[in-house]
Amino acid sequence: MRSAAADASGTDYLESLPRKLVTVYLPLGVFLFVLLFPFYWMAMTTVKPNAELYDYKTYSPFWVVHPTLDHVKKLLFDTSYPSWLWNTVLVSVSSTAISLVASALAAYAIERLRFRGSRYVGMGIFLAYLVPPSILFIPLATMVFRLGLFDTRLALILTYPTFLVPFCTWLLMGYFRTIPYELEECALIDGATRWQILTRIVLPLAVPGLISAGIFAFTLSWNEFIYALTFVSSSEVKTVPVGVITELVEGDVYHWGSLMAGALLGSLPVAVLYSFFVEYYVSGLTGAVKE
Amino acid sequence: MSRITRRDFVKTSAGLAAGAALGKGLLIGEAHAADLSYKPEKGAKLRVLRWKRFVQGDEEQWLANTRKFTEKTGIEVRVDSEGWEDVRPKAAVAANVGSGPDVIIGWFDDPHQYPDKLHDLSELANYLGKKYGGWYDVCRTFGTRDGKWIALPLGVIGNLFCYRQSHARAAGFETFPADLSGFLKLCQGLKAKGTPAGLALGHAVGDGNDWVHWLVWSHGGKLVDEKGNVAINSPETIAALEYSRELYATFIPGTLSWQDPHNNKAFLDGQVSLTNNGISIYYACKNSQDPKLREMAADVGHGAWPVGPVGRRTEFMQVTQAMLFKYSKYPNAAKEYLRFMWEREQFDPWMQASIGYVTGPLKDQEKSTIWTADPKHTPYRDVAKGLLDNGYAYKLGAASAAAMADCILIDMVAAAASGSKTPKEAAAEAEKRAQRYYKI
Repeated sequence: MRSAAADASGTDYLESLPRKLVTVYLPLGVFLFVLLFPFYWMAMTTVKPNAELYDYKTYSPFWVVHPTLDHVKKLLFDTSYPSWLWNTVLVSVSSTAISLVASALAAYAIERLRFRGSRYVGMGIFLAYLVPPSILFIPLATMVFRLGLFDTRLALILTYPTFLVPFCTWLLMGYFRTIPYELEECALIDGATRWQILTRIVLPLAVPGLISAGIFAFTLSWNEFIYALTFVSSSEVKTVPVGVITELVEGDVYHWGSLMAGALLGSLPVAVLYSFFVEYYVSGLTGAVKE
Repeated sequence: MSRITRRDFVKTSAGLAAGAALGKGLLIGEAHAADLSYKPEKGAKLRVLRWKRFVQGDEEQWLANTRKFTEKTGIEVRVDSEGWEDVRPKAAVAANVGSGPDVIIGWFDDPHQYPDKLHDLSELANYLGKKYGGWYDVCRTFGTRDGKWIALPLGVIGNLFCYRQSHARAAGFETFPADLSGFLKLCQGLKAKGTPAGLALGHAVGDGNDWVHWLVWSHGGKLVDEKGNVAINSPETIAALEYSRELYATFIPGTLSWQDPHNNKAFLDGQVSLTNNGISIYYACKNSQDPKLREMAADVGHGAWPVGPVGRRTEFMQVTQAMLFKYSKYPNAAKEYLRFMWEREQFDPWMQASIGYVTGPLKDQEKSTIWTADPKHTPYRDVAKGLLDNGYAYKLGAASAAAMADCILIDMVAAAASGSKTPKEAAAEAEKRAQRYYKI
């Protein structure tokens, strides 16, 4: 009985409170502080009236005395923020979906079809990811103009995959590599086609990988700035990152309250998405089938 | 093949009487120059991209003027805006891909980076110059290339020293000093009284560039000489950097990271008593709901940039100008739009609505009542007179644009002022960086 109790407590005797405080809680606290402080600052600034925002002597910069929703009201009712948010959702979801389909097919082909030069194709895709968007946007702009897509949401939906596909393909290649060959070989023996193997065996096993690639792709397109800046002009098709800068910065006067409200509201959907899929996301990064 | 229809402008001379009137120096707006107008193409529609308003009234009046143009001519004009720094990459993309807005109102030396993509606006510019007292020299420099007008200057965003008059008085200065030693003494006095100055030394495109260019030029330093050779590593620059060290010692901590909005905030918060800025600080105080800020408005003074050892004004500010791109299907309509917007009947109300933020590019625009409506506006009236361009002493072009975009002068002054490099080291590094753009 005694030994069972000792087994249950395991190595707990090593975990004294002060030790745990130093090795777990303190680093965790610092980590949380660093991660959450920007959100705290955004939230504080969102509800802080301008008089407090500019007066550090009378008011603490870290607290708000007379909270107000004026900045949020200005953001939601005096700017086109709701339509920017809708555009951002539409563009991010569409480009993520396109990229995931393309990447899943590409990654599977490179990893499993073993055609000649597949390694180099994989490497080439990775290299494509390294081309910075600040260089790529000029040739892309020419294509967007020639296709008559300038100033439309489609311009962004079709250009975002240029950086999403390489990234997702690379991520999924790594993920597919962790799925044992044996599963596919069994399916081949049972007479399954390549397409059946992909849709019935590999993709169901790769759901965590697809989710983590999807979250990454969604976040990247949600926050994208330079393509959104150059390929659309009209306020009604702008996305949040470009819209808030255009409407809430007047020369050297920054409407900090509304800017922070815009940033806060804009980051919430991504945060919610992460919280829903966090488990898949973690397992997506650590491999498919644990042996 | 050119799609440009034959220019069809009508010059209706007001005849000898108007000529005589010109001689007598009548006020602006009277028929003393041959009138010019362009016949717009059939079915013309225009798209204009401009920088987002600096003040509310600017955009409202611009759009009102545009509506007036549409009512008069039937030409639909769509005006889009972007943040002022974001217009520049959009203009570069439009120029390179050959499609985009017909007219883009950009900044600094933008037109000199793609002059072959722009329409010749010489006729329109000469007409406006003749009618409204001539262009300021700096506007001519920014707007022309090899004698040809490639852009139509819209104005200068005035940038002066904004300071608390009561704090300057407490530091022993009744009026704003006109020379460099007086300016340093004022800053030292402000620091001693616990009400220091602060000038941006981060990559502040507007406020940062404005003051460091003035600092170097006022001492006789320059990035390049008249032949385009890099000349920044000179005794004059070293003297400017020595001066910057003394000046920096009087600043509030943190200016090394300041961007354009920081000094506004620090001034309104009472952290600094002197900084360089547009008229926005004064208006932020004047229009504030906060009684403390409204009270501060009466105490805000605007001081001109002191003159250095070179003995003349050597200032740098944001110049904005309209570019008409060759890909436009309706160049005549666009020229007519520009002409209409630049005529006094439209331009003056727009300048009034911009509450002194933009100083007109034509000399007769000094007579606008906006400059006397409030005595605090008046110093901004004269900003264009002492300006140099960022290509000085050589010409504007890709190298001048790249050197400024790389913040060579700001980094040099920041390094020397903060003591992270000696003035000699900072100047030598700036020389090396500038040589990348101005090939040896």
